Formats: sequence, C-alpha cells, structure tokens
Amino acid sequence: MLASGTWGLGENLDNFFALKEIKENIGALVTKGVSVNPRKGNLPPRIFETPCGLINSIGIENPGIKEFKRNYLPRIKSYGVPVIVNLYGEEIEEFLELSQELRGEADGLELNISCPNVKKGGLFFSYDSKTVSKLVKEVREIWKDFLAVKLSPVGPVYEIAEICEKYGADAVVVANTYPALAVLEFKPLKILQGGLSGPAIKPLTLRLVYEISKKIRIPVIGCGGIVSGKDALEYLLCGAKAFQVGTANLIDPRVSIKIIKELRDLKNGLCCKSNSS
Amino acid sequence: MYEGKIVFNKKEAKNIYLLGIEIPKNILKKFQPGQFLKIKINQRMDPLIPRPFTIHAIEENIVYILYQIVGKGTKSLSKLRKGEVLEFLGPLGKPFPKLKNYIICAGGIGIAGFGFLLQKSANKRNFYPPETIFYGARTKEELARLSFLKRFGIPVKISTDDGSKGYRGFVTDMVEEELKQTPRTVLACGPKSMLKRVAEIGKKYKVKTYLVMETFLACGTGFCMGCVIPLKRGKYAHLCIDGPTFLAEEIALESLS
Repeated sequence: MLASGTWGLGENLDNFFALKEIKENIGALVTKGVSVNPRKGNLPPRIFETPCGLINSIGIENPGIKEFKRNYLPRIKSYGVPVIVNLYGEEIEEFLELSQELRGEADGLELNISCPNVKKGGLFFSYDSKTVSKLVKEVREIWKDFLAVKLSPVGPVYEIAEICEKYGADAVVVANTYPALAVLEFKPLKILQGGLSGPAIKPLTLRLVYEISKKIRIPVIGCGGIVSGKDALEYLLCGAKAFQVGTANLIDPRVSIKIIKELRDLKNGLCCKSNSS
Repeated sequence: MYEGKIVFNKKEAKNIYLLGIEIPKNILKKFQPGQFLKIKINQRMDPLIPRPFTIHAIEENIVYILYQIVGKGTKSLSKLRKGEVLEFLGPLGKPFPKLKNYIICAGGIGIAGFGFLLQKSANKRNFYPPETIFYGARTKEELARLSFLKRFGIPVKISTDDGSKGYRGFVTDMVEEELKQTPRTVLACGPKSMLKRVAEIGKKYKVKTYLVMETFLACGTGFCMGCVIPLKRGKYAHLCIDGPTFLAEEIALESLS
C-alpha cells in the first residue's frame, strides 16, 4: 500500500506509473488525511532531514471532504486499486461525519489517531483509550467495510491496539511517525516539531509490529522506514500481514515497483532455500 | 529515476562546483530552463532525500549542474568523480515564464539556472534573451562561469560586496539604477534578502517581477506538500509544482525574511 500523505491526493500518480503498474504492484492506495473542512496545513518550514530520516509537519493540508469527493476521489478510484481514505478529525463527531460521507464511496477507512502535527485530535487520541474505544465503536456502526486504525508509535500502544480489535477494527497500521524535533537555528532558537519517518525509525517500528502482532488477532499492517524489498520482508516475517511504503515515495515516486520486485525475488529465494534443505 | 554518468565534477569558484552528467538525449529533450532535477547523492540512506538542483546548461548529451557547497548533501556531491553513476528525477517544476524585454538579477549561486535560459534564447527556442544580466556575489572568488555567460553577447554587469570586481555593493543597487532609467520586467534568483529587495524595487518602479524561490523540499513531485511558499491572502503555493518561479506580487513578504 502507498501510505497516507506520501503521494499527494493522487493528482499526478499517473505521471509516474502506467495504470498496469499500479494494479500489479500496489495493493491499496491510502489517501492523504481528509478532514470535514478544508485545512491549509502548517506554516513553513514543514520538513527537515535528519540522518536517515525526515521530520515533517505538514498539518493535514487537504481540501475538505466535499471537495475531496468531488474533485479528487474519482481520479484516485480510476487507478483501479482499492482506495482507503485516511480520516482526520479533531472530535469523534467529525470522524463520524466523514465516515457517513464516504459510505459507498471508498473501499476502506484508515482512522488517523496519531498525527503529531496538529493542535487537536491526532496523536492526542492515542493517549486516551476511552476516546479510542468510543471512536472505533461508533465508526464501526456506520462503516461496514474495511476499517483500519493508524496507531501512534508512542503512548499506550499495546492497549490501544487491543482496543481497536475489541471494538471492531479490521486491522491496525503500525505505525505513524515518531514525535520529533529539529533545531533549525541556534540563536534565536528556531525549532521544527514534527513526525520522524524514514529508515531511521525502521528498527523501532519493526519491534512494535513484532510485539503487537503477538497480542492481537486482527492483521497488523507494517509501516515505518521501508525502502527495499528486504525491509518489507522483515516486516512480513515479524508479523505484518501487509505493509505500507511512505517516505520512500518521496525519494523515488516509483520505489514501490522496485520494492515489490525485490520482495518477490527474496521470497522466491527463501522458497527455493527451504525446498532444497 | 534515471541514471547518468558523471563526466566531470570540478571546482568553478570558491565553494562552487560544476557537475556534468551524461544522459540520453531523449530525456534531455524534455528539459526546460527554470526546471530542476533531484539528484540522489549516494545509495546509502544519508543524505536520505535526493537534492534539488536547477538545470544550469545543456550541451550535446550532457546536463550541467552548477552548485554551491552548503551542507552535507552538496559536500558529498563534490566528492564524486568522473565515471560514477548518479540517479536523478526530473525535470521537475515549471519552466521560467516566457518573458520579453526583461533583465536578470542573480545573486551568488542564483546565477545557476540562467545559463540554460541564455542557451535556449540564443537558439530562439520559445525563450527570449534578457536585455542585461546583473550578477552579484560577495567577492570576485565567488563569481562563477563568467566567460560562459558572456558568450551570448548580452551585457553582464557584475557587482561584489567588497568591490573586488565590478560595482562595489549589492546587485540590487545596480538593478534599481537600471529600472530608474528603463523600467522593465525583472527575473531574479538569489538569497532571500536579495529577492526581498528585488520585490521592493519592482513594486517601486511598477514592473513585473518574478522571483525564483527556494525552500526545504522533499519529494519534488507534489506528493508530500512540504515545500509551501506563503502567498498573499493567507494562501499557500507548493514550490515543486507551482514554482519555483513566482510573481513577486503574489508572494507574502514574510516568506522572504
């Protein structure tokens, strides 16, 4: 899957892929976070590179659900793979409104309870198990199709994962970015607070996937620093049933094709090895 | 991403290097002045994100990148040698607008993108040549590619902060003097402080002013929405798909400070 926020709103995906390539290599497209009302996003700077990682603070820039449905969703659907809409709300009611708006319009939802770059909602949900219980339960009543929750890698992660399972989520995405900070200027001190992604976080998220997949029965979708087929295979071997590619799309928009090819080659290699032993 | 072989990577001026990458002509054909490439510096993951560089010039099947060492990425780039293979993405961004009767104002490494514009306009390929090029740097040692720039028969007026070559002072002083005499469109690229001054001068003399902007940039493809430029009336543009060249009157001045 292509992870939320790493392929825009799908306006120009076909500049980089033939439709056939999308169908053959991408299992699902997870859209950028969509909110009830349009959001401009955060002031710049929004990104900063760290060793093997990227801190971002985009702030869920999006046109709002009405405009998204009218002008973006049809194009995303035209790529011919399942579309999972990432939802962002500051209150539970907003998630419910968004779920209602998307009934019959998308193949799945991914509830974003883990964005570190907003003043309300986002990551704050991930510290509050009662709110998450209520959120998942109430969205589940409205939304009958595939429902995933994108967890934060910080906070009571295991408890939140169990709650998602208990209240009817079909999968959890492990995980969003790590709350992080970069110093941009020393004097006067200028900082960027955002979420860290990229290969720097892979060992941390891989551990979370490993632990969480032992605690719950619903599928864990691994997401964190995958840039190669080997990374993807590691996630699958450590308990993930699927994986998302995020930051790597910003390095090379066609990276998912390379990852899938490498993964197929590696799996073929593993298969042959076990057969011959 | 495409691959290209380095044919040279040589020091051109103080901290400024000229990189030549050999790439197939069918890819080069797509390049337009004002666009940029994202170059992957190495196959390790640090630096992680390929760095954006404007296209400086094209000759035969070689694309020229003129770059200044400013950080980890460009320092690593300067260490690469002839024969090594680089991966790159592009062309990205919108070309320069097609202007007539205009001048160029370049500060420091801001000169880089204008070489290709001069080449294309000399060949009368959709672009018109500027009337004059105003090019400033801190010192004589930081001026790059002067003989190349002078090849096109267009006046190149130089300034240095320390007076070691040309006019002593800022390039914007010369631009203001020119606009006072002959108001005309300005196309400018350079440090933020210079762009801000150009915007002010352009407003004062009521001329169309285009600024080539810079900001932190990750994807270069419109995917991440990281490279926003604040516009007036509280809106944002995305440098990689809406720019990098913007009309000064549309930009919020705080983005230049």
